[in-house]
This record gives sequence, structure tokens and C-alpha cells, in this order.
Amino acid sequence: MLNSLFDASVWTSLAAATVAAISSILFLRSRNFLYDSLALAVTEIGLILLAAGIVAGAIAGRLTGHLWWTWDARLTTALVGFLIYAPYLMLRRAVEEPTRRAASAAVVSIFALFDLPIMALAIYWWLARRTAPAPIGVEWTILPVAALGAALAWIRFRKEQDRRSQDAERRTAQEI
Amino acid sequence: MSAVAVEGVWKYYGDYPALRNIQLEAAAGACLALIGRNGAGKTTLLRTVAGFSTAQRGKIKIFGKEPREAEARRQMGFLGHGISVYDELSALENLTLFGKLYGLPDPNKSAHEWLERTGLERVRNGLVREFSRGMRQRLAVARAFLHEPSVLLLDEPFTALDDRAIAVLQRLLREALAAGKTIVMSTHQLREALELATHVALLNRGQLAFNGARTQEMVDDPGYVYARYGEGA
Amino acid sequence: MKFLRQVATVAAKDLRAELRTKEAINASLAFALMILLLFSYTFDPEQEMMRQISGGLLWIVFAFAGTLTLNRSFARELPNDCLDALIAAPIPGSALFLGKCCASFVLVLAVELVSLPVFGIFYRVHWTGQFPWLFLILLLGTWALTIIGTIFSALTVNIKLREVMLPMLTYPILMPALMSAMRLTTSLVNGQPIPDDDFAWLKMLIGFDVVFTAVSLALIETVLVG
Repeated sequence: MLNSLFDASVWTSLAAATVAAISSILFLRSRNFLYDSLALAVTEIGLILLAAGIVAGAIAGRLTGHLWWTWDARLTTALVGFLIYAPYLMLRRAVEEPTRRAASAAVVSIFALFDLPIMALAIYWWLARRTAPAPIGVEWTILPVAALGAALAWIRFRKEQDRRSQDAERRTAQEI
Repeated sequence: MSAVAVEGVWKYYGDYPALRNIQLEAAAGACLALIGRNGAGKTTLLRTVAGFSTAQRGKIKIFGKEPREAEARRQMGFLGHGISVYDELSALENLTLFGKLYGLPDPNKSAHEWLERTGLERVRNGLVREFSRGMRQRLAVARAFLHEPSVLLLDEPFTALDDRAIAVLQRLLREALAAGKTIVMSTHQLREALELATHVALLNRGQLAFNGARTQEMVDDPGYVYARYGEGA
Repeated sequence: MKFLRQVATVAAKDLRAELRTKEAINASLAFALMILLLFSYTFDPEQEMMRQISGGLLWIVFAFAGTLTLNRSFARELPNDCLDALIAAPIPGSALFLGKCCASFVLVLAVELVSLPVFGIFYRVHWTGQFPWLFLILLLGTWALTIIGTIFSALTVNIKLREVMLPMLTYPILMPALMSAMRLTTSLVNGQPIPDDDFAWLKMLIGFDVVFTAVSLALIETVLVG
């Protein structure tokens, strides 16, 4: 059960990464901040779900094999995926000017997506020698996890849009 | 076709409008003095015209081309707050570098020429980090003028210049205007700027409060425009 | 042709400035030697394990020391607002980017080529056995490090915590390239040819270089002008 939750979270975050990259490209093309909010929401929720999934996967490993970390290809790939996307959030915090923040974040998102398949392959080759890798399963758990992810992302997206318009009002009010 | 055309430009920092519906033009041979309080948007406007950042709405044309096009960049010279020359290189090396980047036919010759015109020929091999402030400013001016740009965008060029540098800059600006070049200059030094200016634009909170030809009243009383069109008018 | 000349002009400028001050290269070299020294304390050079970790150790040294140089790449344009002048010049963003990449590449490679003999001496590894192949891997791996490091140096040039953000962005993305380089270097630095199995890693390294050079060139204008 835990393992299938882990698998579901991996697929959901993969979908999130793809949506984020597409959204980032659309932002760079149109300069419409809607896409920036979407990319942020999707990445943040994707990271949270992925973190939960990694924990679930680790616990599953502990319960079956008494090891917290089995150097299983799937689990390791998920962890590295997390490490690739976490700087996206850190970067956003480090850039103050909103347009520059959105553009920089968009670039990172695109780089990250290109890196994912190469990285997954590298880890598969690396760890395939030690443990026979189990493919990441597609099971019914995907549906509730993906639905949860989509719902949370939507909420996050609306929150981000609201925050931005409040910021704008506040700044204009300060002006007058 | 005007040298610099700003058409309905809005520039936002996120959701905050730093420039609102700016509409102005500078014909070839004009000298536009851009005045306004600190924070009014003068630097933002100049940098947007120069192509360092993009306006979210509206268009900027330099001789009909977008600022980021290579041809427009070739015809534009920018002098900002920083001197934009390298401390670790010599004056000559700096100018030769920019000569090459601008595709000048003989970068070395142009570099020597402009070192002469700004009075830096004797220290051409000295490293910029050893220069005095006035020398650094004169080198910055040389760099901006080096490729004989048709449009000069200057952000508070007279601030922090020593007397010699001011004299050099004024002379170069007069020569440029006489040669039909266009100058857009933001400034706090109203007197020096208004002497050279043919047109004046007053920016107030990102909007143009005044945009027109320079009049005698302005030259006689530099504070005139502020009093008449600025805040508290 | 003009493009190449522009790249060369930028590269020459960076190299000249760096060789005059030697800030980055000194720090980078000192750092590399220090890591090598520290690790020699932990490992007994006689052991077989030494051979196994040599590739990994070398590339950790190269990557960490290299980041010091790569951080300077665009950061050196900040004093005096030189970056403005470079962006305003009528050269394509890609020429500016590649020029800086080439300069950083030379500097990082220089530190690596000095670190190798030191490594050989400290750890008693005979590393010249397969030098042509080793050199190739050095070139490919260093190019990967340079490309990613330079594009993110441009991205982070104006933000606070630049020195922290650059490694945080660079290392995760660089992982596949580092893994490939480490594996290939491990055999080569010990004088063994690349095992047949491992040629796939060479292809991965080349693929990484090609893909990310292309992506960086595609996005450089956005990174510079925003």
C-alpha cells in the first residue's frame, strides 16, 4: 500500500514537473503572470507530494526489509528529483523583483525538466547492478493522489493570484 | 522618423506601474532633458529605452527599430550610474575591447582618438583601478561615445563629475548635437542640462507631467518647470 | 566568423582580467589542494578502495573548486556596472555566454590539470597510463560543469545569496554528468581502459553536453535581459 502510494506520488510529481515546464515556457512567451502562478503552485504541491511519497517509500522499505534506505533506483530517483526542484522554491525567495523572479524561475523549471530523464537513466544504470529495479507501477492509487494534487495545486494557484492582486492594490494605495 | 520614439509605454515591476503611458519623441538633433524627483522613473525610462528591460505595454523605437536589435544597439550609447569599464584593465584595453564589441573597423585607432578627446592619452596604459574619480568618469564618457552613436542616453551624467570632466562632457555633447546626434539625458543638474536642451520632459510618479520645447523661462529659472507643472503646482 | 570573433573577444577579456588579479584561480586551486590533502588523511593509499573512489574524489574536487571560478564568471561584471555595457553592445547574448564559458573552461581545466599530478603524488596513483582518454573525459566533464555553472552564474548574478544559490542550482542538475565522469575517470585514472559496459556513460556525458549547451543557448537572452 505504501509502495503504491509512493509510485502514485512519483507519477503525480512527474506530471507536475511537466505542467510546470510548459507553464514556464508559456510565461516566457506571453509574459502573463497567470502562468507563473500556475508553475509555482504546481511545483510546490508536486514537491510536497513527492516528499510525502519518498517518506512512504522509505517506511515501506523499513517495514519489509528493516532498512530505511534501500538504494532502490525508484526511491533514489525520486530523491534526486526532489533535490533538482527544491532550488526552484529557494530561488523564488531570493529574487525580489516579480518579473525577474518569474523569468528566472521559468528558466530553472525548463532546465530541470530536461534533466529529469537523463538523471533517471543515470540512476537506473548506476543502481541496476546492485538491486533488480522494480518498475514504478501504475495502480489505482494514482487517481486519488493525482486528484488530491490537482485540488491542492488549484487552491495554491488561487491563493497566489489573490496575493498578487492584493500586493498590487497595496502598492497603488501607497502611491496615492 | 524620429530618433527615439516612446509610444504608450507602461512598465511594471510585478503589478506596480513604474512607468505609466509614456508618450514622447526625440527628433534627430534634439536634446531632451528628462527631469523629475528621485523615484519618478527617469532611470527606469532610460533603461527601458536602452533595452535593458522590456516594457510590458507600448513600443520603443530607435530609428524605427526595437532597442534590442543589433542595428539599434550599434547606434546607441548609454552612460549610466556605473562607469561600465573594467578596473583590472587599462584605459586603452577597455576602449579597444568595446571597439571590438561594437565592430569598429580599427578599434585601436578609435580607442586612441577618444583617449585624446577625453584627455586620458597620457594614462592610457594605467589600470582603471588606479584612476582618480574624475579620470574614471572621463573614461566612461569615452566608452559611451567611442562608437559614434547617433543616440546618446545619459542617466544623470553630470552627477559626481569633477570640473574637468564636466567641461569635457559638455564639449562632447555640444559637438554631438552640432553633428546632428540625439541626446536624451536625465538630470538633477538643471543648469548644465537646460543650457544644452532643446526639449524638456518632466516625469512625476511614472507619468509625464510636461513634455515640450525648452523655453527661455526655463533657462532663466531652472526651477520653473517644477514650479509650474510639478507637484504642488 | 564574426560570431567567433566576438566569442574570442569576450573570452580574451575574461582571461586577461582573471590572470591579472588571479582571484578566482588562486582560491580554486587552494581549495582543490586542500580537499585532496584532507581526504588523504582519511584514506590509506595502499588500499584497493582507493582505486575505487579515485574517480569520485577527483570529480568532487573539480566540481567544488570549479564552482568558485564559475561564480566569478558573471559576478566579475557587477562592479562598475560592466554587465550593462556588455548587454548593450551589439553582440548576441549567445556570443557573450560562449565567450565566458570558454574563459571559465580554460581556468577550471587549468586547476584540474594541476590537481591531477598532486592527486597522483598524494595518493600514489599512476594516472598517466590512459592519459588521452582521461583528457577527453576531463574535457567533456569540465564542459558540462562550465555550461551549467555559467548559465546559472548569469541567472543568479543580481540576486541576494548568490554564492549559495549557484551551487544549489548547479549540482543537482549536473548530477548525471558528474556520475558519468566519475565512473569513466575511475578506470582511466588507474591506467585501465574504459570497460565495454561503461561506454554508455560516455554517450550519456556527450548527450548531456549537447542537450544543455543547446538549452542554455536557447534561454540565454531571457536570462540576460529578463
